[in-house]
Amino acid sequence: MLMQLQVGSLIEPFSGRRWVPEEVHRQTALRIGRFQALGVRPGDRVFLPFGNRLEFFAELLAIWRSGACAVPVDARLTAFEVSNLVRAATPVLAIADEATPAEVTAALTEAGVRVLATTETGASPGAAGDLRLDDDALILFTSGSTGDPKGVVHTHRSLRARWTGLHDHLPGAAFARSLCMLPTHFGHGLICNSLFPWLSGQDLFITPPFRPDLVARIGAVIDEHAITFLSSVPAIWKLALRLARPPQRGSLQRVHVGSAPLSAAAWEDIRRWTGTRQVCNAYGITETGSWVAGLADADVPAEDGLIGTGWGAVIKVLSSDDTTELPAPELECGPGESGYVWLNTPALMKGYFRRDDLTARAVAGGWFQTGDIGCLDERGRLLLRGRERDEINKGGMKIYPADIDAVVERHAAATDVCAFALEDPIYGQSVGMAVVLGDASDAAIASLHAWMKSHLAEHKLPARWWLLAEIPRTSRGKINREAVRTACAARPALDLPALLARAGGA
Amino acid sequence: MNDSREHQRQALLGFLRSIQKAGRPVTDLTDSDSLVASGLIDSLAILQIVTWLETTCGIDFAVRGVAPEELATIGGILGVIDQESGRSPA
Repeated sequence: MLMQLQVGSLIEPFSGRRWVPEEVHRQTALRIGRFQALGVRPGDRVFLPFGNRLEFFAELLAIWRSGACAVPVDARLTAFEVSNLVRAATPVLAIADEATPAEVTAALTEAGVRVLATTETGASPGAAGDLRLDDDALILFTSGSTGDPKGVVHTHRSLRARWTGLHDHLPGAAFARSLCMLPTHFGHGLICNSLFPWLSGQDLFITPPFRPDLVARIGAVIDEHAITFLSSVPAIWKLALRLARPPQRGSLQRVHVGSAPLSAAAWEDIRRWTGTRQVCNAYGITETGSWVAGLADADVPAEDGLIGTGWGAVIKVLSSDDTTELPAPELECGPGESGYVWLNTPALMKGYFRRDDLTARAVAGGWFQTGDIGCLDERGRLLLRGRERDEINKGGMKIYPADIDAVVERHAAATDVCAFALEDPIYGQSVGMAVVLGDASDAAIASLHAWMKSHLAEHKLPARWWLLAEIPRTSRGKINREAVRTACAARPALDLPALLARAGGA
Repeated sequence: MNDSREHQRQALLGFLRSIQKAGRPVTDLTDSDSLVASGLIDSLAILQIVTWLETTCGIDFAVRGVAPEELATIGGILGVIDQESGRSPA
């Protein structure tokens, strides 16, 4: 039985703006009227290069009730990346706000996409059409912004299945007043931290994402608004634990940490700071509608990598990661034995947008191969032990080395390249890059740096560069990122700031 | 500017060089330029600044508390060092 959706109030605690459900419905109706006047039709895609404010949620509901599909976009992307996404998703319209960078708006316009301000609603409310469960509801692009974009498509059915699964496993009262400090263009922040409580009729408090000045005030916000729930990522918790005073009034009932590994030590620190034992490591993947496993009752000893049991999902750990065959019982690992983590959930994505090839590589008979390594303990609880996926997890934001490689390879000075994960004291991981240059002059390196800045969003730019004579490869010619990382660790990184200063490339 | 403050400034600039993003020399910044808005560091790098102040200047932020805006500029950080060492800002 799919849950009935019912909105709660929306509140921006830092600006003081608040919409009660009646105002949410009014704002949504105005936007439905606007979409109807503009001729938006069922199946159309609408880009949302803004978020974390009241209007974003009214746009989302209006898009859905118009039968269209919402595509939240990270507004930090470069014009090049936005153009790539437009080519892949062919949106009919984009809705922006005053914080959307001018270069993003210009890139959309140049690509022939009309851009409207979210406040341009018109005055005539529109009536909602019928919403069909198997229509595309949401596309979240997770990688490929520099090449062939990989967009996770969720239907209304898969999203509702996610929320129903959470509703069945988690204590509803804990979400009565939920705070979201995560970006609304990524699954964790949008589907689970925001929409799950809000569309269950609970109140959602939404703030701009990743702002240290706001994180420093989080304890006061929790007290002032009697926040009962929040979710975040370990990097933000590192900041909050150092900069913010703990809440004093004991309102927090539950806290989730996700999108990046949580150590037992950090887990206990968060418990002490929040004043609740109900802190859990919520395991989520965009393809499964984010949170797919965790601890319903989190009052257990903290343990490195401990996740818990499935929330509307069946978890298997197999000795194989082969998606060309159905997961077979004889492949299942025993308790404590590490293997590949597979998930089966009705909240699984419909597939990757127009990329059946990628979908086939990730899904076998409804089972999703996560790319994570883990084990099930004697009690059937999942413990994560590592990650086989080729990605860099920078404070919860997933960065794909291939996106960086694709940009660098196109520069005339570069003959080979390999981006890889670097250990980082704040983010957990950041981006390193080994590059082979045909021309290693200061001017050529400065030119490559400028090229990368114009093609890659700021958070994807490598923090450290190494110049190598060759990139280590396997006998089959594949890049061996682990060998590259090892080769780089043994030598000093390029002093890029000094080089750019010399080259006048600042 | 006295020798001690200049010494602190050079130590701070040296530290910022070690964590900065490429593309903008730290010497281009004035004392009042925002370190984040100028593109020198990520917003979360404030945590590295806090750790550096704790280890090199002995400032205990757990006791003192911290407002991120105090650490947003070179002048602000030097001001925090001055306050904690009991000096008047130069």
